[in-house]
Amino acid sequence: MRIEDTLSSAAHTLTAHATRSWLTLLAVALGSAAVVLLSSLGEGARRYVLDEFTQLGTHLLIVIPGRNETTGGPPPLLGETPRDLTLQDALALLRSPHIARIAPVAVGEAPVSAGSRSREVTILGSTSDYRAVRNLALAAGRFLPPGDPERAPPYAVIGQTLAEELFGSANPIGARIRIGDRRFRVIGLLEASGVSLGSNLADLALIPVSAAQALFDNPALFRILVQARGRSALDAAQDDILAIIRARHDGEDDVTVITQDALLGTFDRILGALTLAVAGIAAISLAVAGVLIMNVMLVSVSQRTAEVGLLKALGAREHDILGLFLSEALLLAAAGTAAGISLAYLGVALFNSQVAAFALAVPPWAPLAAATVSLGTGLIFGLLPALRAARLDPVAALAGH
Amino acid sequence: MIELTGIERRFQVGDTEVRALRQIDLTLADGDYAAVMGPSGSGKSTLLNILGLLDRPNAGRYRLDGVETTTLDEEARARLRRERIGFVFQAFHLVPRLTAFENVELPLVLAGMAPRPRRERVRQSLAAMGLTARAGHRPDQLSGGQRQRVAIARATVTEPGLILADEPTGNLDRAAGEDVVAALEALNNKGLTLIVVTHDPALGERARRRIQMDDGAIL
Repeated sequence: MRIEDTLSSAAHTLTAHATRSWLTLLAVALGSAAVVLLSSLGEGARRYVLDEFTQLGTHLLIVIPGRNETTGGPPPLLGETPRDLTLQDALALLRSPHIARIAPVAVGEAPVSAGSRSREVTILGSTSDYRAVRNLALAAGRFLPPGDPERAPPYAVIGQTLAEELFGSANPIGARIRIGDRRFRVIGLLEASGVSLGSNLADLALIPVSAAQALFDNPALFRILVQARGRSALDAAQDDILAIIRARHDGEDDVTVITQDALLGTFDRILGALTLAVAGIAAISLAVAGVLIMNVMLVSVSQRTAEVGLLKALGAREHDILGLFLSEALLLAAAGTAAGISLAYLGVALFNSQVAAFALAVPPWAPLAAATVSLGTGLIFGLLPALRAARLDPVAALAGH
Repeated sequence: MIELTGIERRFQVGDTEVRALRQIDLTLADGDYAAVMGPSGSGKSTLLNILGLLDRPNAGRYRLDGVETTTLDEEARARLRRERIGFVFQAFHLVPRLTAFENVELPLVLAGMAPRPRRERVRQSLAAMGLTARAGHRPDQLSGGQRQRVAIARATVTEPGLILADEPTGNLDRAAGEDVVAALEALNNKGLTLIVVTHDPALGERARRRIQMDDGAIL
């Protein structure tokens, strides 16, 4: 039998039993759509998180006081707490040729007031390089000016929410505000960039690091953000940071350096695995659809026993019959997959056009995986009924049993 | 040329063994017209199934056109069925979802013939049965006589040398039955070997050769 005749004959049979075929096709379509949709949900989440991290800045290293690993050796004889990270530690890092910029960060909460209005917000102390390290954009005014961080003028850059709460619709640039017991002049307004890793950039005030240290009466830095000179300089920069801090802290390794890449890699792996797991669960529904295909094919074989007998009398070989029934199963699976994948793409497009905050993204492997699993189950579950048909005894089959 | 020697066919029914065919020896020349007759259960249909290579004997030899068929594998037997034998059944056995044309086309499709020459052969076969106007009709839109003539067109479309007809008029009224018998005999007149299994003595009388069976043996 020619392959095109086998296929057209199978298609003809499927259309002759339209209801049955449509229902099976629907099951396969729902299964493949589930695979594609759920994996695009996972992929969307992955890209969302990666985006968030990339917004932090590029080639970023974060220096945190304290160590998160224990090393061997006896415990120190004298009680010893990790040393604080100081502004001098931060500035010393600039000696490394692999480091482009640093931004020391001191953080605290304090009431901010202008006139009669007051609001308790996060106060972030840093330097002018903070803007470049974090890729911050300004809506108006300018950022903290460069200069000696020890004697920076009392300027503040504030977020959108804080500006609205304090000044309403009036222009905040140039206004005087009070943070704690100190006075500052507002010189810049941050662009609203949403929530970035938990810190709401819209509701904070950015002031010079020395002012923040004085405000909170604490010389310790919360962390130091370091921008390496390039992607390839990240490792060298990390080594330099550790070496410089060790030299300054009497030979103690008492800081932790997190590279953005390591962080990204971890999240990438976790969310990638999650996407695969979700897709795997969806694939189970495809296997269920496969069982449905088998059921439909078994019914079809038993209803067409006499027809199989006739085909054998007319000279059909076993593999002709096998081909006919397998083609039916595979056509159902293929049509169902095509419909399901189209449906999923349509759903993703619709979702993305309606929801702006989060975008679904179909990973390139998802339609392939859906098609492979669905055709595979069609083949496996179609095989048993097809073999049963092919092996029917022609005399008994012609008699209808 | 059909040569059967010492054909035995036994079935196991529960604990007992039924001998459906006992030591059948039969030779039919090309172009013969034989009627196989006998009461129900005498082995007529079993004989026809053996002749049609649908069933295998437990013992004996069956040479079809000089080819020993009992040692052939299923693939080769399917090929012989396709090329040498045409079947006509009492119940017509037309595929209900296919048109008359498509039903007649089936053996050629199974033989892997290309669509263009295939269609020409089907048209000729239908025309020979006077069914050109009915080519696009499905079986349920045809009369019994027309259905059986579609079946005959299907049996002859591969130009076989042997037609096996199992009670071809059994489901037809007299007029339609006569049409069908006339069509079969016309084929025989063109040189095809025709073997008809029948209960009907009138039909049996028309054959040049009558094979009377009882209890699995030829009388």
